[in-house]
Amino acid sequence: MTKEAEYAIEVDKLTKRYGDLSAVNDISFTVRKGEVFAFLGPNGAGKTTTVEIIETIRTPTSGNVHLLGMDVTKKKHDIVRRIGVLPQEFSSFDRITVRETVQYYSRLFSGRNTDIDGLIDLVNLKDKTNEQYKNLSGGLRQRVGIAIALVNDPEVVFLDEPTTGLDPRARREVWEVLQGLKKKGKTVFLTTHYMEEAELLADTVAIISKGKIIAMGSPGELVEKNANYPVLTLQSVDEKALEIVRTMGFEQVLSNHKDIKIRVEHTDDVQKILSAIKDAGASYLGLDVRKPNLEEVFLKLTGEALSDGPAGGRGAE
Amino acid sequence: MNPRVVGANLVVKLRCFYREKTAMFFTLAFPIILILVFGTIFMSEDNVSYHLCVQDLDRTKSSAQSIKTLEHNGKFKITKVDPDVNATQYVRDNRVNLVLVIPKGYQRHLMQRAMLSNPNASVTITYIYDPSSSSVTTKMEILNGVFAGINQELSGKPPFIRTVERSILAKKYRFIEFFVPGIIAMAVMTLSLFGTVDSDTELRQKGIIRKLSTTPITRTDWILSNILYQFILAVISAIAMLLVSYAVFDVSLHIDAWLPVFILLDVFAFVGIGMILTRFAKEAQSAAAAANAISYPMMFLSGSFFPIELMPGFLQTFAKTLPLYYLNEGLRASMVFEDNMAALRYAAVIGIFAAVVFVLGILASKWEEGR
Ligand SMILES: Nc1ncnc2c1ncn2[C@@H]1O[C@H](COP(=O)(O)OP(=O)(O)O)[C@@H](O)[C@H]1O
Ligand SMILES: [Mg+2]
Repeated sequence: MTKEAEYAIEVDKLTKRYGDLSAVNDISFTVRKGEVFAFLGPNGAGKTTTVEIIETIRTPTSGNVHLLGMDVTKKKHDIVRRIGVLPQEFSSFDRITVRETVQYYSRLFSGRNTDIDGLIDLVNLKDKTNEQYKNLSGGLRQRVGIAIALVNDPEVVFLDEPTTGLDPRARREVWEVLQGLKKKGKTVFLTTHYMEEAELLADTVAIISKGKIIAMGSPGELVEKNANYPVLTLQSVDEKALEIVRTMGFEQVLSNHKDIKIRVEHTDDVQKILSAIKDAGASYLGLDVRKPNLEEVFLKLTGEALSDGPAGGRGAE
Repeated sequence: MNPRVVGANLVVKLRCFYREKTAMFFTLAFPIILILVFGTIFMSEDNVSYHLCVQDLDRTKSSAQSIKTLEHNGKFKITKVDPDVNATQYVRDNRVNLVLVIPKGYQRHLMQRAMLSNPNASVTITYIYDPSSSSVTTKMEILNGVFAGINQELSGKPPFIRTVERSILAKKYRFIEFFVPGIIAMAVMTLSLFGTVDSDTELRQKGIIRKLSTTPITRTDWILSNILYQFILAVISAIAMLLVSYAVFDVSLHIDAWLPVFILLDVFAFVGIGMILTRFAKEAQSAAAAANAISYPMMFLSGSFFPIELMPGFLQTFAKTLPLYYLNEGLRASMVFEDNMAALRYAAVIGIFAAVVFVLGILASKWEEGR
């Protein structure tokens, strides 16, 4: 083991190939102790592959990966005791209750003094303590998974898409739990394809696409560098309005269904667009102007939408 | 190996089993149902009793006494035929295959013989029978034997030739006593094989194996807890089968340390095979299908249900290559024949087999195939 490193995670020129496919293609990054680091990218970008290599359960094709100064290909035994993992699509034994499940995993770590009820409390499952796993909804199951990831009081916590497939309310409840973790100063490695999640929770975001990290920095920095302009969104526009915006020469960031997002330089431009539409007798149902977010950054960098799920764009509630 | 981890795993497995009530019921009930069904079917073969019609034309104390003697012989259930009917007609009308007719004057002639007033007095008992019936010859042979015994006694001299029966077996056994050890061996095989295949594929599908591979649990802990779990289930199942066999069929089986030894060897052998199957089957269904393909022929060909001596020669040779054969015969050697040397021989064969497949199973079952 080298000296206790300054970084919780150091990844250097990591590549993982499956046959001809480079699932992870020569990526390098570091995660500081105590920070929340998010991997943001669409399905198949290589998030799980990277995370599971750091967790010691997959082997890299080439490159060096160190966790708390230990080589992940050589120190599996020591590493697993110091990390906590919520795997993607986590699930547990159907007939075992919340309390029994947490207790089981605690015993696997030979934890005699684990505060089982404290953990259950931390993930807000106090009133579900004696409920069997199979009777829990998706959001509650993920919270059980988070409690389990904490049974050994780990120094680094890995959460692989902790809110995928949850409804907005359940997602928000998981975020509350994660914000609690952040306050406790845990190092957290989070993967997600929801930009809101990364923006809300992460100190550092790495945007990953097709096995490559295409941008990295704090959410603010990323927006500043890559999408420093206001975005005007017009909802439920008709054909005529669409035509007018096009002829005025503004760059459309995104148009899906009936909504269009337009990159504007100035608030004056907003005024111009709106009056042009009005003069032509075209219509729209609603509008908003806001600062750009990571979604626009992703779009700008890859030319593809990050997600069209409910968490993309504005929250519905 | 960490006992705390093994214990935690065992507790979770037992809880899952206990809480899945329908699965638990069918797991334990299936072999018991087999015992009940086959035991009932073959019960009649163990204590055959023939139906015998007797027409007593003499209607005296002595003739009645003789009929009692036949009844007490244990082989016959007697129906009395009215002396006034025509016995031949009776055989035709009632679809019976034999009527024994005791003639008039039976008592009188018997007295003359006994008092030595006429040492040559004799009677003729008539068998009126239907030769197209298959069991009638056996019946007449048994009756001849009984009458020969009575004649011998009346002659007042000791018999010249006596016979003694000495079985090569410690005791005579019934079909059900042969059957129960075979079903125990088969049930433990099924439990261990399918228990391992089903739980491994389920945990793999649910991603629990992946989660476990980020905890300190080792493969040794995991496999050990599975062996313990399967052994506990097997013992519970065997106890249930034995209780039913004793209660319903009043079996007489010898139970000693060989029983748990063979159950444990059974568990090791088939948990090992189960681990190998889950490792090499790509999808969940193919592992279960492979387990079926292995276990069904084994059940029928290894002599779980009937002695392999009933099968053609080449199948008998084949049976001796099947691991279940050695478990069947080993359990029978200890429980039925009480032959420790034979039990030891069978245990040695299956013990070597179990050790080999179990080690192969451990080598085969990597947590996740080199991802
Ligand atoms: N075990 C595997 N064998 C072959 N290809 C794989 C394997 N695991 C992942 N991949 C491929 O690698 C790419 C990245 O997958 P993954 O890391 O799961 O992406 P993400 O977690 O970002 O959705 C995908 O194209 C996926 O199909
Ligand atoms: Mg993934």
